[in-house]
Amino acid sequence: MADDLTGGYQYPFPMPDEDDVAMSDGAVHGRPPGVPSSYEAGRSIRWTPDSIAEVHALSRLGRYQIRGFTTDNTRFPTFDDLTFVPASLTRLPLEGYRENCDTRTVLGGGRPDLVSAPLELGIPIYIASMSFGALSASAKAALGYGASKVGSLTCTGEGGMLEDEREASNKLVYQMTPSRYMLDLEHLRQADGIEIVVGQGAKPGTGGLLLGMKVSERVAGMRSLPLGVDQRSTVRHPDFLGADDLQVKIEELREATDYKVPIFVKMGATRPRFDVAIAAKAGADVIVVDGAEGGTGASPELLINHTGIPTITAIKAAREALEDCGMADEVSLVAAGGIRSGVDAAKCLALGADCVMIGTAALVALGCNSPRYLDDYEALGTAPGQCHHCHTGRCPVGITTQDPELETRMHVAAGAERVARYLTAMTMEITLLAKACGKSSVHNLEMEDLRALSLEASAFTGVKLAGIDRPFGW
Amino acid sequence: MSDRVEIIAGERPIREINREIRAAVAEGEPVVVRDTLSRHNLGIGLAEGADIRFEGSVGYYCGGLNNGGTVHVTRNAGWGTGEAMAKGHITVDGYAGMSVGASMRGGIIHVKGDAGPRCGVAMKGGDIVVEGTVGFLTGFMAHTGRIIAVGGAGEACGDSLWGGEVWVGGPIHSLGVDSKVIEPEADEVADVERLLASLGIDGSHDWKKIVSAQRLWHFESRDASAWLMI
Repeated sequence: MADDLTGGYQYPFPMPDEDDVAMSDGAVHGRPPGVPSSYEAGRSIRWTPDSIAEVHALSRLGRYQIRGFTTDNTRFPTFDDLTFVPASLTRLPLEGYRENCDTRTVLGGGRPDLVSAPLELGIPIYIASMSFGALSASAKAALGYGASKVGSLTCTGEGGMLEDEREASNKLVYQMTPSRYMLDLEHLRQADGIEIVVGQGAKPGTGGLLLGMKVSERVAGMRSLPLGVDQRSTVRHPDFLGADDLQVKIEELREATDYKVPIFVKMGATRPRFDVAIAAKAGADVIVVDGAEGGTGASPELLINHTGIPTITAIKAAREALEDCGMADEVSLVAAGGIRSGVDAAKCLALGADCVMIGTAALVALGCNSPRYLDDYEALGTAPGQCHHCHTGRCPVGITTQDPELETRMHVAAGAERVARYLTAMTMEITLLAKACGKSSVHNLEMEDLRALSLEASAFTGVKLAGIDRPFGW
Repeated sequence: MSDRVEIIAGERPIREINREIRAAVAEGEPVVVRDTLSRHNLGIGLAEGADIRFEGSVGYYCGGLNNGGTVHVTRNAGWGTGEAMAKGHITVDGYAGMSVGASMRGGIIHVKGDAGPRCGVAMKGGDIVVEGTVGFLTGFMAHTGRIIAVGGAGEACGDSLWGGEVWVGGPIHSLGVDSKVIEPEADEVADVERLLASLGIDGSHDWKKIVSAQRLWHFESRDASAWLMI
């Protein structure tokens, strides 16, 4: 706690006014200190408006800043650093508009003795775990119906199983986070998969965060928390610590659900080469590797920007880990983190993922950052296209809020249809690329179908550099 | 001879043992499991009316996700006894390891010996009664419910409680972050004593009741406008 740092020290003068600490004297309306947009860019590449604003904000708040959305770190390689090299003479393409390309995706199908009902999806994409609490009930329901229409799945997130979502989602994965909010045997048994969370890409090594503004009566009730607390969830699981314990825990969940549904382990991408091997050895049927570009409803900003490794680098390491353990056929690999389109998703599949998971992209399809209700964006000090204020619960478009009035802006039916169309379009994008590369199944996309456009992307992934046709080596 | 359905655990697959337990429970038969060999995951997700006695010691998660069953362990229990239990009654005659009743939501867990660290961690309801002492971080981030340690508590007792209560009848090594000792009301003491009496335990102790000091309920800065700076 920050309080502990000051150790009871008293200044030899009275505490200053908060207005003075906030540098309000001489400030102009609309240009408060501590907000990047209040500053002009100078010539220093080190002291940018962002870094000056950050110091002013920290020196006022005495704590780190918190926000939602995804990383602003411009040093991350992007999916755009990779390009596809479709068939020409060395390979034969398939007809883009006439020939079939299989998109069916099975998760947890590698162990029929332990998983009698693996998850069979129509497409290689599903909706990431985002809690009711972080999201409004309407947003959860819309995601569920949209995913159901295209044979995909959604995942509860950490706040327990919401009736609205169970009803909407034909296939629903139940998440077991360290906090275990409302962990319920009946809910476990109603789920089509169970996900043990050991971390998330946006903020690996830390637990969930839900600020008091979003801990409404319904949210607090489902999580058995005091109303309006700043919920900072535990990061370690309460009843297992290491890999050996995880193995026992996975067996327990199989016992509780009678060896029916697949058990997922989700982790933030940090050391996937080792973490994935451990999760696989512990018995996970599906491993979700969430890259550092993954989103969050609320997190200390420094974690969003400065922890974890990029998604494209994590997929390759995770795939190699499964192959090294000889478990590539038994364990499904899901990649997530910063996927914006079918093109990004196709690159993930080519790098070695069996399926991808989208969170932020699905919210954008629902209407996140859409140019409507501009006054409400302005009240948050932001604008459509740059809003990252999920943490405030004042989402102008009703997605990341628990405010009943704002939530009415999230139309379940229209949102569901947009999500369904977006998933359909993404899938078409993937198949278009796959067929151009001569693949009759999206799962046949491979590293050889890619070339790197930068030394970094090649070095990070082992994808051959464009033109020179060999990976950048050491 | 026992009037219970007898199941021999031994080294058989846990799946087989639990299937036999469930089958007996479905028939309404009480069960005794022998040769337990401290096996993990014995008696998971038991249904209402289940009545299982484990003759010997059990490993991790015995009685985990219990949904109304009665479980009796005649010796010691490993980690996570009765974890995520919704209702039911679990008795451990000996000692219990780490995380007794982790994230449990209801029912009673009664440990006659000592319990290890993180007893009642992430607890969401129900009662845990430990006749001996509890280890460090008892009640860590518990929400509601009551942990009663008759013999005493180790380090960091009641650490980071959201809510809930830790009652200690003996010495407390140290309090955890954001917890405080308060004077219990007479009717609360009477309620604890009644519960203990129902378990055959003398409840007359100099009770210390530990609750959340609520300093961790909120970030230090509660100024809502400050969240909008970023």
